[in-house]
Amino acid sequence: MLKISDLTARVAGKEILTGVNLTVNAGEVHAIMGPNGSGKSTLAQVLAGREDYEVIRGSVTFEGKDLLAMPAEQRARAGLFLGFQYPVEIPGVNNVYLLKAALNAKRKAAGEPEVDAYEFLALIRQKMKFMQMSESFLTRGVNEGFSGGEKKRNEVLQMLILEPKLAILDETDSGLDIDALKVVSTGVNSLRDPKRAVVLVTHYQRLLDYVIPDQVHVLSGGRIVKSGDKSLAQELERRGYDWVMGAQVA
Amino acid sequence: MSAALRSFESQWRARARDALQPIREAAMQRFLKLGLPSLRDETWRYTDLRALAEQSFREAGCVTSGAPTPGAALSLVHGEQHAATLTMINGCPMLHAGLPEMDGIEVDSIRGLYDRDPKRLRQFFGSATDADQRRWVLLNTALFIDGLYLKITKPVPTPLVIRHLSTGDGAQGRDGAQAAHPRVIIEAGPGASAIIIEHHLSEGDITPLNNSNTHIELGKDAQLEHYRVYATGAGATHLDSLDIHQSQDSRCRQFTIALGGGLVRSSLEARLNQPGASLDSYSLLVGHQDRHVDCVNIVTHAAPNTRSRQTARAIAGDVSRVIFNSKVIVNAGANDADSKQSCRGLLLSPNAEIDTRPQLEIHADAVKCAHGATTGRLDPDMLFYLLSRGLDRETAQSLLVYAFLADVLTGMSVSSARSAIENALISQLPDSQTLRKFR
Repeated sequence: MLKISDLTARVAGKEILTGVNLTVNAGEVHAIMGPNGSGKSTLAQVLAGREDYEVIRGSVTFEGKDLLAMPAEQRARAGLFLGFQYPVEIPGVNNVYLLKAALNAKRKAAGEPEVDAYEFLALIRQKMKFMQMSESFLTRGVNEGFSGGEKKRNEVLQMLILEPKLAILDETDSGLDIDALKVVSTGVNSLRDPKRAVVLVTHYQRLLDYVIPDQVHVLSGGRIVKSGDKSLAQELERRGYDWVMGAQVA
Repeated sequence: MSAALRSFESQWRARARDALQPIREAAMQRFLKLGLPSLRDETWRYTDLRALAEQSFREAGCVTSGAPTPGAALSLVHGEQHAATLTMINGCPMLHAGLPEMDGIEVDSIRGLYDRDPKRLRQFFGSATDADQRRWVLLNTALFIDGLYLKITKPVPTPLVIRHLSTGDGAQGRDGAQAAHPRVIIEAGPGASAIIIEHHLSEGDITPLNNSNTHIELGKDAQLEHYRVYATGAGATHLDSLDIHQSQDSRCRQFTIALGGGLVRSSLEARLNQPGASLDSYSLLVGHQDRHVDCVNIVTHAAPNTRSRQTARAIAGDVSRVIFNSKVIVNAGANDADSKQSCRGLLLSPNAEIDTRPQLEIHADAVKCAHGATTGRLDPDMLFYLLSRGLDRETAQSLLVYAFLADVLTGMSVSSARSAIENALISQLPDSQTLRKFR
């Protein structure tokens, strides 16, 4: 589904990704872990199509298509979803309006008719209930005045509505208390499907207790330095990132 | 003496004396002595009037009878939703059909008021001042022909519209461009309330100079929602000033909407004279093509426990320039004054310019005053967020522009006015077709 080869990218003139190689198949959940500043968020943003991040080398294919040649909006419509680490507040743009516009953009790209307003409201209410979100969400601006936890729930809600083929969740677990973490994990697990894939970008192992990954990768210095199964995450938790980075030097 | 000043002086000399002569005389003498404001004057440093000074002006013809035909006039309210529409053409009130009867609002011409109660009328004219923001008010006082006087006596739920229309040949003939000096006085008695919409329009391609002034006095517990909407043609020069005087526990919500004109100068001077007085001022300033909009707000807290809020949103596209200067003055003794100034600017073109300057002048000890001003382009993080959800770029940008204006638009209680203003506004923004979808 996703194949990243030798991906090298610059942000503000500085090389942050230095040759990432990663293959994610349909049905899989991958976790990308790493210390602060290792390039985890940059990788997520580059995959989603952030323009001011400059790709200088390498390739990314998504379902066989050249992902890097597509603008951000086209990637989204093709089924890629980024759950932001810091979702931006957009006062004046209603949450529901955005969700509906996003869903319709995707449907239009797939040649489907626009969603019926009544059905859409029913869908959103059902998913909100699942994510344990309050009714007031319906009338508020995008992420406006949301707590950190509410913003993350909103990201997962958007993901559930849009049903992406590939979800990249950038530290969706950070800043969540244990109850919110369970809700968010349930949301992510509900999307697990042989036709979909999930990439979890995370600093800590605790999310991986609830969303069990098929593969775990450690990103350091802008590339993947170690890969393994879920036990790698547990080992990292025990031994710290220095262990991997030390191994890299050795 | 500049050509403009000479032409105003000769109009003044040709005028017949009336009951306001001493007030007018003092104002004209100050105006002639001080001359036109220049870039050296504090509140005029962003607006160059040298080209205007080179022009001659003649008195705009007073039309007092016959139905007005505001061709492309956008109507701000639907018929069933407002109490009445009063029309002023070239600064003269159209009251030939008699004074309209309205429940809760007495309407008269200013001449009518000075025939009835000259002493009361004189109270609405302050003494001649040298303050540069009031320079054109001096000229208005000297040269206004007539005006409207409204007295609100009880709560009036439906909006009243004052349509200011510039009409005439307007050609820059031998005698110069036409100049008018519309004057409106609004007085709200104790406990009275009203919604008043002043709508400035011009007919055809004329290039008039409008030098308008509105004076508002709110009695104890009075409430007013006041709009001034500038929608004259691109050739018009509009210098508008608004004075608001508020008594105890009075509340005023004021909307200034700049959507038209070539050169627009808009000033607001508010005085919160007694405890409990509260002012919410909203400004929506739209720079389009080569329009120049210069907005100056001066709010004086002259009593304890007074409250003011200023919310300004400036948008500038093409080669336009928008200026927003606001100043809050807290007088000595006006303790527990509470003020906030928020100005945000949005640049839609690399050749447009926005200047903002919030100021505070505090002479009291215990006050709560906040101000903030930001100007920039569309936020790239917001844009990327919307794009990452699959919205096309045009929709995402339009949505963000619309959201930027929402703080002011959503404050308007007259829904028909809001939607008419949104319509006019949207047509001056890029991607207007996309924007219409959000309404």
